[in-house]
Amino acid sequence: MKHSQRAALLTLLNREMLNRGSWCGETHIQKAAFFLQDLLGVDSGFEFILYRHGPFSFDLRDELSSMQAEDLLELAMRREGYGPTYVPTPFSETFLERFPRTTARYLEQIRFVAAELGDKAVAELERLATAFFILDREGIVDLKRRALRLVELKPHISLPEARFACEQVDSLIERARPFMLEEEE
Amino acid sequence: MTKIFHEIRDPIHVFIHLDWYEKKVLDSRPFQRLRNITQLALTYLLYPGATHKRFEHSLGVMELASRVFEVITKPTNVTDEVKGLLPDLGNADALPYWKHVLRMAALCHDIGHLPFSHAAEEELLPKGWTHERLSRSLIESDEMRAIWKSMVPRLDPEDIVKLAVGARKAKDLQFSKWEAILSEIIVGDAFGVDRIDYLLRDSHHTGVAYGKFDHYRLIDELRNLPSFEGSSEPALGINGGGIYSAEALALARYFMFSQVYYHPIRLIYDRHLMDFLSAWLSQGTLLPVGTFPIDIEGHLKTTDDEINAAMRIAASDAKAPGHHAAHCIMRHCHYKVLYERDPQDAKLNSEPGAAIARAAEIEFGKDPVRYSKPKVKDVATDFPVRGRDGRILAAISASETLSKLQPTAMEYVFIDPQLKDKAKTWLGKNRDKILAAAGEQEDQDHEA
Repeated sequence: MKHSQRAALLTLLNREMLNRGSWCGETHIQKAAFFLQDLLGVDSGFEFILYRHGPFSFDLRDELSSMQAEDLLELAMRREGYGPTYVPTPFSETFLERFPRTTARYLEQIRFVAAELGDKAVAELERLATAFFILDREGIVDLKRRALRLVELKPHISLPEARFACEQVDSLIERARPFMLEEEE
Repeated sequence: MTKIFHEIRDPIHVFIHLDWYEKKVLDSRPFQRLRNITQLALTYLLYPGATHKRFEHSLGVMELASRVFEVITKPTNVTDEVKGLLPDLGNADALPYWKHVLRMAALCHDIGHLPFSHAAEEELLPKGWTHERLSRSLIESDEMRAIWKSMVPRLDPEDIVKLAVGARKAKDLQFSKWEAILSEIIVGDAFGVDRIDYLLRDSHHTGVAYGKFDHYRLIDELRNLPSFEGSSEPALGINGGGIYSAEALALARYFMFSQVYYHPIRLIYDRHLMDFLSAWLSQGTLLPVGTFPIDIEGHLKTTDDEINAAMRIAASDAKAPGHHAAHCIMRHCHYKVLYERDPQDAKLNSEPGAAIARAAEIEFGKDPVRYSKPKVKDVATDFPVRGRDGRILAAISASETLSKLQPTAMEYVFIDPQLKDKAKTWLGKNRDKILAAAGEQEDQDHEA
């Protein structure tokens, strides 16, 4: 995927997340992009590691900066005491119109992620994304072991919370199946 | 009698103090090599004073890292809430160990740099290699391990690696919250002391005053804080009283990038240098594969000195590989700016400079055209601020100035000076057509 196509993908993701009520701070976008890539197979080329609030990509952080510089996103304050929100700029819709193929190709996947994650706060996103990371990257299938691993990695998460997050992720995977893309060439 | 403590005079921090072990690192081959690696590559061709080296910068980073550590671990600066997030802060026995690790990591954070620092890194290292990975290899080398092993308490090289290169560049290592905070002290986007030192030092040596700011106040106001109100994730933040110095740091960075680091003449000298190095390395002088060496001995042997000597010879020998690029550098006849990114052009095409460079190459051939797109730098306003009422605010909420700062996208197309007038005329006639055609191809799966 070219830089400009990736920017179109993230512009669309930002718009759909906001439509679904997401706060759309960096963490919300990071976790949504993680599920979009690692669960649904949208090959955006970001490398995620366990870092801030779970899976995190420094490449994605750089991409968001580039998009600000290119007048596609801007940071806005919506409420004091909360983190900033990424919002589209007046130019972003015009920009998206230049990418009919890219937006059509990934619209279903983006809408699925936005519908599933749009109403979630940072703490819940952290639990879900980390639970999926453990399953996906470490291959721990057993629910109890996965929950214990989640608590080990994120000690501020209680065991019942961890277990519930793992159950939620299993159910999310089932709902995602119709939207999963084959590996792209 | 062996001296236990040493002090070195420094133009930025006045005195830098080292203990006996740090002196051993200073005297090691990897660290001494930094005496011959310029901090700002060929920037001295524009700003003649910019001949300073990674050696003194690394000492400065150690000095500042130490100061930050003292401030953020001082018991009166640590709230109960933060102690809950970072239990390590309550472990008084472990803090001296981590201070040693932090100082060593700061000293060693740049030892993997190639000649001329960043100028040739991406293109001239084998895939997957960066200067941070080379720093890591050196920190874990037998020569350096012997020093870590001799220390009391003994330092774990992996701890030094984590703090020296950070999570971005050590993706295979897992960072605890405490290690993440300590690595932020060195390499953090907002308040990393690597950044603080290079801004102050580069400003001093280039004579560009924009890079100066009140780092004393800034450091004194740094605190461990929750990333946001109620967050379980700690971050390096600042007390409300320090917000003006944080603004000054952000502005200093903005100005230094626009005036010095991303100055178009500096960028074209980087391109000429890379062209020379590609040609020179392809002779198999260092490695047959045309890249810089990644083995420790090869790395230690290669500094700016070897490259400068080779460039001088190539500049006066028309048959030498890399002659043209060496000539452009040594005789100051660099390529000239043909095109600079215009935000209005970017409405038609995401990378207007790249489109114009491709069209110019078709028109004039590849050799007389060069393209540069420096990486967009984050304005680093993502840090927490503790307001006067104790609440945690996002930086852009606490500062009108920071909320207005935007990252900037830059692109330049350069042309051989002999073709400058012809190319300007050509561009004047074809610019809109080139941009419109390239814009239509952006949504295609592969480059046209």
